[in-house]
Amino acid sequence: MMARFFTPAVLLIAWGFASPAAFGAVTLPTGGKIQQVDFERHLMGLFSKAGCNNGSCHGSFQGKNGFRLSLFGLDPDKDFAALTRDIQGRRADPIDPDNSLLLLKATGAMKHDGGIKFSRDSWQYAVMREWIKDGMPRRKGAGEIKGIEVSPKDMLSLKAGQKAQIKVTATFTDESKEDITPFCDFRMQDDAVARVTPFGEISGIRPGDSGFVVLYRGQVASLRILVPTPMKPGFKYPKIEAVNYVDKEVFAKLKMLNVVPSDLAGDTEFLRRVTIDTTGSLPTPDEIRQFLADQSPDKRTRKIDDLLKTSRHAALWATKFSDITGNNTLALEQPQGAAQNLKSQMWHDWFRSRVEQNMPYDEIVRGVMTATSRDGKTPEEWLAHVKKIEEEGKKFDTSEYAGRKTLDMFWRRQAQVPSIEWSEKTAAAFLGVRLECAQCHKHPTDRWTQADYRAFANLFTNINFAANQFSSPDVKKVIDAENAERTSKVDAKNKNQVMVIREMFIAPEPRGKNVLLTHPETNAPLKPKAIAGPEFTPAKGKDLRGELFEWMRSPENPFFARSFVNRVWGHYFGAGIVDPVDDFSQANPPTNTRLLDALAKDFIESKYDIRRLERTILMSRTYQNSSTPNDTNRLDKNNYARSYVRPMLAEVVVDVVNDAIGTTETFGNDAPAGKRMIEIGASRINNANVAYALRIFGRPPRTTACDCERAMEPALPQTLFRMTDPALLQKMKSPANRFNLLLKDRKRSDEAIFEEVFLAAMSRFPTPRELDTFYQHRLTNTDRAEAFADVVWALINTREFILNH
Amino acid sequence: MFTKRDCEGFHRRDFMQIGSAGFIGLSLASMLRSEATAASRTTAADVKGPKAKSVILVWLSGGPATIDMWDNKPEAPEGIRGEFKSINTKAAGMQVSECLPKMASVGDKISLVRSLAHTIPSHGPGTVFMTTGNKPSAALQYPSMGSVCAKMLSVEKGVPPYVSFSELRNGSAGLAGYLGTGYNPFGVEGGGGGKGDAKGGGTNMRVRGITLPPGFSLEELETRDKLLSGFDQGFKELDNNGNLVDGLDSFHKQALDILRSDKTKKAFNLAAEKETTREAYGTTPFATSALAARRLVEAGVRFVTISTGGWDTHGQNFTNLKTKLLPQLDQTLSTLIRDLDERGMLDSTIVMCAGEFGRTPKINKNVGRDHWARSMACVLAGGGIKRGYVHGSTDASGMAPATEPVTPDDVSSTIFQQLGIDPHTEMQTPTGRPVQLFREGRVIEKLVG
Repeated sequence: MMARFFTPAVLLIAWGFASPAAFGAVTLPTGGKIQQVDFERHLMGLFSKAGCNNGSCHGSFQGKNGFRLSLFGLDPDKDFAALTRDIQGRRADPIDPDNSLLLLKATGAMKHDGGIKFSRDSWQYAVMREWIKDGMPRRKGAGEIKGIEVSPKDMLSLKAGQKAQIKVTATFTDESKEDITPFCDFRMQDDAVARVTPFGEISGIRPGDSGFVVLYRGQVASLRILVPTPMKPGFKYPKIEAVNYVDKEVFAKLKMLNVVPSDLAGDTEFLRRVTIDTTGSLPTPDEIRQFLADQSPDKRTRKIDDLLKTSRHAALWATKFSDITGNNTLALEQPQGAAQNLKSQMWHDWFRSRVEQNMPYDEIVRGVMTATSRDGKTPEEWLAHVKKIEEEGKKFDTSEYAGRKTLDMFWRRQAQVPSIEWSEKTAAAFLGVRLECAQCHKHPTDRWTQADYRAFANLFTNINFAANQFSSPDVKKVIDAENAERTSKVDAKNKNQVMVIREMFIAPEPRGKNVLLTHPETNAPLKPKAIAGPEFTPAKGKDLRGELFEWMRSPENPFFARSFVNRVWGHYFGAGIVDPVDDFSQANPPTNTRLLDALAKDFIESKYDIRRLERTILMSRTYQNSSTPNDTNRLDKNNYARSYVRPMLAEVVVDVVNDAIGTTETFGNDAPAGKRMIEIGASRINNANVAYALRIFGRPPRTTACDCERAMEPALPQTLFRMTDPALLQKMKSPANRFNLLLKDRKRSDEAIFEEVFLAAMSRFPTPRELDTFYQHRLTNTDRAEAFADVVWALINTREFILNH
Repeated sequence: MFTKRDCEGFHRRDFMQIGSAGFIGLSLASMLRSEATAASRTTAADVKGPKAKSVILVWLSGGPATIDMWDNKPEAPEGIRGEFKSINTKAAGMQVSECLPKMASVGDKISLVRSLAHTIPSHGPGTVFMTTGNKPSAALQYPSMGSVCAKMLSVEKGVPPYVSFSELRNGSAGLAGYLGTGYNPFGVEGGGGGKGDAKGGGTNMRVRGITLPPGFSLEELETRDKLLSGFDQGFKELDNNGNLVDGLDSFHKQALDILRSDKTKKAFNLAAEKETTREAYGTTPFATSALAARRLVEAGVRFVTISTGGWDTHGQNFTNLKTKLLPQLDQTLSTLIRDLDERGMLDSTIVMCAGEFGRTPKINKNVGRDHWARSMACVLAGGGIKRGYVHGSTDASGMAPATEPVTPDDVSSTIFQQLGIDPHTEMQTPTGRPVQLFREGRVIEKLVG
């Protein structure tokens, strides 16, 4: 997800090399000729390809050095004017083309902050020069594109060392077609697998699978480049039984790559992985022994079913839903402090109870998307409901809130949230689409325009909360009286410390900053419209979110089901089929489209049954592959040929460390002692030691809806934390930890205790060599408790412990 | 997610080389990337050779009334002018408030920027703006200047790049933002911090996470590590592609180097300083942190934040300044600057002293001043910043810059230019969006001599 693409600058180094500077018709480096250089098709293509119209160059809103191009070349008229009219036409001089500023700057003959873009004998020079010499003709609209097509389509398979030329054809709105390959920008997602020249010649580097994206003036196309593993003489691809359609799709792709899945994971390997993935816990020593002793053939199936029914499993997904929906404690309504933490907990538990009862995914989303505070209650019922929530809150009980139909907490924030944030959050959370770029400009590698962005935001202009208003005079009467009583008891100074009752509802008109947004060019008010979806008809006080939701969850929706199955897949494999999981865009194609489609189809057909989806994934041979690689799949990292070694969520790290030592956590006023971290809703944790650990291991503050907020990559401070953290070391001294309790029984042997401690941390029995290591160490340390503290410290600091695999 | 992050195609050999470079706080993906970063750094043709190596940020939390400090207005009308007279400093033409006599005596070593202004009179976002050099945005968390240093500058083995004595705004500022948690500051605990309880000794100070806590000796660490290596053998085979397992091994080696190194431990041994030096700094936790900050910079730390609070003077502004805030700041900051200079370190160490905003020129009914971001002053010294120079001015009533207006972006850009980093270096956010370090920043050329 980091620097997925090369910057154009890198490509340019290779780009400027010579080709014949023929005059008249221009010969292209990919063969073929341009008879007539066209401003829109060719010049603007070159500007985009060379990066001239980037935000950091002439595409900047201030321009650069007096020369401004439209950002990413979205406005040909402006660019044409800038080139031909501004500064007395010095940029392009048809009398003396070689003296045009455009060419002098681009070739570095005059100082150019952007560097030398091409040389005088290059084909780009020839293209630009020809156009200038021609008197800078313009066929307005000639470059309007209907679509681009890449050949080969969808997939290109080539051996390491082999080369292949791709061809990009644009169809323009006048139905003419043209090979525009050299004018395109190419991006190879994994250039360890294959590389591409600036002219679209692809060479295989080493076995693997990379996404490949073609950009031409705002148009995006993609294909996958497969470089199969070379077959050794006599190699016969083995037949591996597919458990379900997941395996069918995964294996089909692997076969194209000559990659063989790893062996089936052993029982301990499977049990540890599935327990961490489903419940954020380690299996206990007893659970491990029972599972190993169980001889029945369906024991894995039963284990999966049991784990998916646990309350911990629901808590883990509540944590993930809290990320997805932005359960940011600090942004919740006044009063600040403990009351906010409690609200975060309600938010979390609302999801938890739903996952636990396996409510269909679309119904869960309906509860978020269509939420109002009153949930359809009368004012009096609502007041009683709010009071009950508050009463229960005093005892850490959130059941009244969790039992609500809708999650109004999602819409209740301290500061008024502009409509554009609601639409961005909705898109990221439930459609897996990142819209924020389109606030200011159409994204160069995606389809969303500013008008799309604004029309979508216009669905959310009437959200009303905390404006001291209520949805009806009846509500106002009841709640005003209650709030007056509450605030009468305190000084004016402390009024904001009082929990007053506020209602989240749909106002008759857009409120506050949420004016109806208009079209960026025509300035006409935009009708509310879903991204890539229908328009909705607004009416006074009408809640458009319900209609939006119905569009979202309809089986035809291209994002809703795909986005969620991809999140679930990403959770269980450490890499989404679309990755990052919330970045569905044209420039980020799925690694296995058929797999994604099959999962989505099944999910829709099952009426959005989350548990069934998880079960299908976990039952698959693909999930149960061993993490030990074989000769063919060592290099695989996006086709699931083996179980990938992966880091754990920060919350899970806190929990499994406690599991390993045999200790629990305290949360002060936030939650009863002994709760697990995945059960905590608040993003602000008052236990400073836990908060520190969470920060080190990358728990997101949930301020944006982006999945990228959660840092999943290891960092050095994490290693140092496991080695030196005072709170962690203290736990190893706790008299109530696992080994200290075991040591109380004087008769228990060192070996028995070691086995138990080892099993608890590593979820497997020690090897004879590891046992020997322990004996050797025990000889040097005569204090039993100290020796076991050393053991636990050492186990927690292994790579095997801190990673899931 | 993780397994896709090495998509730049670096090979394992490169990784291992970079991995043993002794950087700290680096995350795995950034290790893989650091080669590319290094390359882009050297192409920044316009950046002059670095003059500064390190930065000490002296943070005045709450928003100091700089109108009563560095930009005193004794001639302003009643209701705006404060209670303090101005005094001359050792720099010709530079005057400061009479409550800062010791700072006046080092006026020839510092610059005052009097025309600094922004538009956010709110503590949280104001702090973010001033410490990141970027106007806060809901869409993007900008990294603090310290985190940028941690990313862009190398450090010796065993030395943390970015150390903070205080969690700014309870840990909501001063962090790594889009750079990722690996570039967060290493926090100091055990006294010396803003809320520390140490009485000037600072003997129990340590950087959390990079030193062994009390009761855990180096010998014990070595013994345990031997045991660990016995349990950590079989796992290596698993991950020959993702680099995760090798990466963690590399982190492990670096961690041991750090824990075995006594560089930071020594830096906190303030008893090694002459008693006169310690006395010169003062006995407050703030003074202790300032002295420790100097010692950390000597040890090779690139960015140190020290902080002192109480500057949110909505009431009794002048009493608070005169009796508590200014005497302490005057003593410690002047000593820090003099000490750095005497050791020949001032030319390579930038000291910046500022808070999140200034305070209203108009005095309120509680004899206080309220939040005011439209004009403020800050101190910059060292690392090639001019000595004895006043940059810009405010209007007669101190409401807004009158000449040479500058923004927090400009100050940050200037600091990074002095560190040898192009202020417009293009970074990438985790979503792949290109972002310049300080997009709106213009280097304040007149500030650098």
